[in-house]
Amino acid sequence: MAAAAFDFYWEDFPVGQERDMGRHRFTEEEIVAFARQYDRQRFHLDAHGASATLFGGLIASGWHTCVIAMRGMCDAYLTRSACLGSPGLDSLRWLKPVRPGDEIVFRARVLESRPSSSKPDVGLTKFLWDAVNSSGEQVLAMEGWQLFARRSAATRAGAA
Amino acid sequence: MNPPEATLYWEDFVPGAVDEIGRYTFTQEEIIAFATQFDPQPFHTDPEASRGTFYGGLIASGWHTCAIGMRLMVQAYIGRAASAGSPGVENIRWLGPVRPGDTITYRRVILESRPSGSRPEIGLVRSRSEALNQRGEMVMTMEGWGLFRRRPAAD
Repeated sequence: MAAAAFDFYWEDFPVGQERDMGRHRFTEEEIVAFARQYDRQRFHLDAHGASATLFGGLIASGWHTCVIAMRGMCDAYLTRSACLGSPGLDSLRWLKPVRPGDEIVFRARVLESRPSSSKPDVGLTKFLWDAVNSSGEQVLAMEGWQLFARRSAATRAGAA
Repeated sequence: MNPPEATLYWEDFVPGAVDEIGRYTFTQEEIIAFATQFDPQPFHTDPEASRGTFYGGLIASGWHTCAIGMRLMVQAYIGRAASAGSPGVENIRWLGPVRPGDTITYRRVILESRPSGSRPEIGLVRSRSEALNQRGEMVMTMEGWGLFRRRPAAD
């Protein structure tokens, strides 16, 4: 691994750091397309059928909101980072429905950061990733860990 | 309010029940297509570049494993249940990689069940989803709440 192969290493995510992960307008077309493939429930599939459900209209699959957040995360920092993957998420909350035409803003905040106890070249970072609609309501909140290579390790490898 | 075809209500989800939800074989094309759209990290999108990564080859996005689990759950039971959505899930653990050609079996364990405190027509069910590969290795687990309408009183 060459030095400075990535823009971001574990050290570049200090506790308290906030990062914009972009915004996305959910269209009816893409809400339905995602649901047809992965989540064929009435309130995700068609506006007419959805109007008779508890949600009173079409809403995006919660997984759709998650993967758009993931895409925003990739574009904002992840694909330029020395990310080594994620062991999982501690919590994932679908707090409000996302409806056609909603413009959703995605954000990341660093909650915790620690070096790996078993791998000296790796650090762990806990994030809160959330999403807010144009009324300022939180629609999604996820907390989870990502693993990153440490900058010190990359520098050592580059110098070797 | 319920789908006209609804045959499963809150009362039908009994704690302790363990059921196979379905199985799915992940192809390389599909892994790359999903990740290109939603999770474009090299170990999910690029068979060549992925060999040089931590994972030593292409692996599916963890979100892809989740989304297929959702699809199978809807096919297996949610599609004919009086579902009222979900407030979220906890403890998603991506325990092992899903690689091209892997056949993943999804299983559901009902953990607990209780009526809603605020909405008498609704009940909550907490279940654990487990995904295992063809070697029996657990690749993902998660726990989540589902909301279902309670069975209407007989006329």
